[in-house]
Amino acid sequence: MSGPESKVLPASIAQDSARELSIDSLVADYYGFVWRVLRGFGLTATDAEDATQQVFMIAARKLEAIDPQRARSFVYGAALRVANNARRGLRRRREVPDDDANSRLEPEERGPEALTEVGQARTLLADILEQLSEKHRRVLVLAEIEQLEVPEIATLEGVPVGTAASRLRVAREQFRVLLEAARDRNPFVEEP
Amino acid sequence: MTPPDPIDQLGERLFQAARREPLPSGAMERALLAARAELSAPRSTPAVLPWPTRWTLFAAAAALAAGTALFVRHQEPIDRISAEPASTRLHSHNAQAPSASAIALTAAPDPAPSVKTAPVFSVPAPAHSAQASLSDELGALKRASAALNAGDTSGALSALDQYDHVLKGTKMRAEATLLRIETLARAGQAGAASQLAQRFVAQNPESPLVDRARSFVQQ
Repeated sequence: MSGPESKVLPASIAQDSARELSIDSLVADYYGFVWRVLRGFGLTATDAEDATQQVFMIAARKLEAIDPQRARSFVYGAALRVANNARRGLRRRREVPDDDANSRLEPEERGPEALTEVGQARTLLADILEQLSEKHRRVLVLAEIEQLEVPEIATLEGVPVGTAASRLRVAREQFRVLLEAARDRNPFVEEP
Repeated sequence: MTPPDPIDQLGERLFQAARREPLPSGAMERALLAARAELSAPRSTPAVLPWPTRWTLFAAAAALAAGTALFVRHQEPIDRISAEPASTRLHSHNAQAPSASAIALTAAPDPAPSVKTAPVFSVPAPAHSAQASLSDELGALKRASAALNAGDTSGALSALDQYDHVLKGTKMRAEATLLRIETLARAGQAGAASQLAQRFVAQNPESPLVDRARSFVQQ
């Protein structure tokens, strides 16, 4: 095996590489990855679940064409496309008021989950990530939430390592500025 | 030694919250079912269907039947449902094919409100049963599933009896057995359901339905 992705290939996928890739191992190994990435891209938990399901349905249709050693790249690419569609749908829904508008409500209006410390942290993170450009948000999510190394991020993004590193540096700088600006809304700020 | 940057610390705590966010309960299982259904969907239908295809067809049929039954119950009074020929009802509404998520959710349907009527769909059995078609078999299981979802366990057992003895169904045998297990359990015959489930597990160890069957086995 070679390439950054193969270094972290899950055991079940590595076994699959010697035979046919199975949808079961794909779901088992990458469900969490896809779901977290989609959450990082701004989808609500419910939308992320639907979108993740779509990703694996796409993977099932194309299973025979997926290189087991590039399975994560495949599901990541599918997740990006599905996320873009979901976000377009979300933008359309926002033009019409509805009852499922949790994500655009103020934190105190988002229900019991959002009132917990973790819920508030999640909401604040989503609000900050939303303000980044897509390419910077993607690399930051991969680096900070999925904790991937720059070469792995470059592979998933399909860009040179230097480009991935540069985007990550800019993304971190922007994130820091936005976090400072949002400091007063941070649930972890201790009272003076 | 430089003290840690508070902004960096705060950022890390936000990312940590994202990393630790739990996945929605049962979401992975639902995705797996939907993916398996998708995996087998475009394939042709051989005489003896492979497990994923059989599961997909049954799940789709059950979702269709449940959706149609709910729609019919929502639209019409119960007495009218009982009086009107089932074939008319089936064709009078444009029931849409179930979505993938509906298929996934149908794998473990929520108990529907109990409605004490005759079987919701009482389509007469085919006159001859020497070679029941896949459509006939699916029809019987749809009726059983719809009756079960309507709380009509005797109607469900009747449809399953038709599958077993009139149609002598073979293509969806495992799905029919699992449906019978569920129906028996729902009808309060936990012992019979358990015995049948044990037999099913022993005879179908490779079936994707085996876990569901095992859940009915009493210790």
